[in-house]
Amino acid sequence: MYRSFKQEIVSDAVPPAAGPSSSGCRAGDFYYYSGLLGLKPDGTTYGASAAEQAWQALGNLLQLLAVGNLDASHVVKTTVFLTDLADLAAVDEVYAQFFTPPLPTRSTVQVAALPMDLKVGFEAVAWYHM
Amino acid sequence: MTKTSFMAADGPPPIGPYSAGVQAGDLVFLSGQVAIDAEGHITGYSAIEQARKVMENMKAQLAAAGLGMDAVVKTTIFLADIDDFQNINDVYAEYFSEPYPARSTVQVAALPKGVKLEIEAIAIRG
Repeated sequence: MYRSFKQEIVSDAVPPAAGPSSSGCRAGDFYYYSGLLGLKPDGTTYGASAAEQAWQALGNLLQLLAVGNLDASHVVKTTVFLTDLADLAAVDEVYAQFFTPPLPTRSTVQVAALPMDLKVGFEAVAWYHM
Repeated sequence: MTKTSFMAADGPPPIGPYSAGVQAGDLVFLSGQVAIDAEGHITGYSAIEQARKVMENMKAQLAAAGLGMDAVVKTTIFLADIDDFQNINDVYAEYFSEPYPARSTVQVAALPKGVKLEIEAIAIRG
């Protein structure tokens, strides 16, 4: 039954998911992570710059990966949401510190807005097969 | 098994910290495709011209993974202007037949390099 392979991923080390969602959800060998924003576990913003917020958001991703005994090397795809593409270079400098080759695939877009006036957000997909 | 990356030999190289494509078991992920050539120059001014280049780039990346367009199961289309949707859709439709991939289409505030569209895709092997 597929339900035995669907599992919520939660961690006290990341901010609680907003609304009717999980921070992460496992689907067999694939792990989906959302709401990766620059928020501290208490739900408040970390840093004013896109770079600082990216650092916190990707740190949150590492915490969620760790719940499933995974790390950044298991990430296969990310999406980068920016409120200003001019922040991309600074965000890339931070992002590049989290991932090593083979790098995940990625799409980058500038959006109209993000929750809580944040400047950058991510979603990520990881994969692990024994 | 570990993930592996790939890219079309004559396709546009990544312009940031990402791979053009990644294979993860039965799924193949493609980075968002935009209308740039192997030298990184934007090709095409109109949405139709850019859509053609985007779809050709996607086809080339899939071919590098040994796949055809019929392997695509999901796409997301990011548009700078939703009014371009019909024109882009006409080009997109030339590359797929039933069963069509699932798809989401949205207008975003802006795209890198000021391109008019970006399309990401997930494909399946086997």
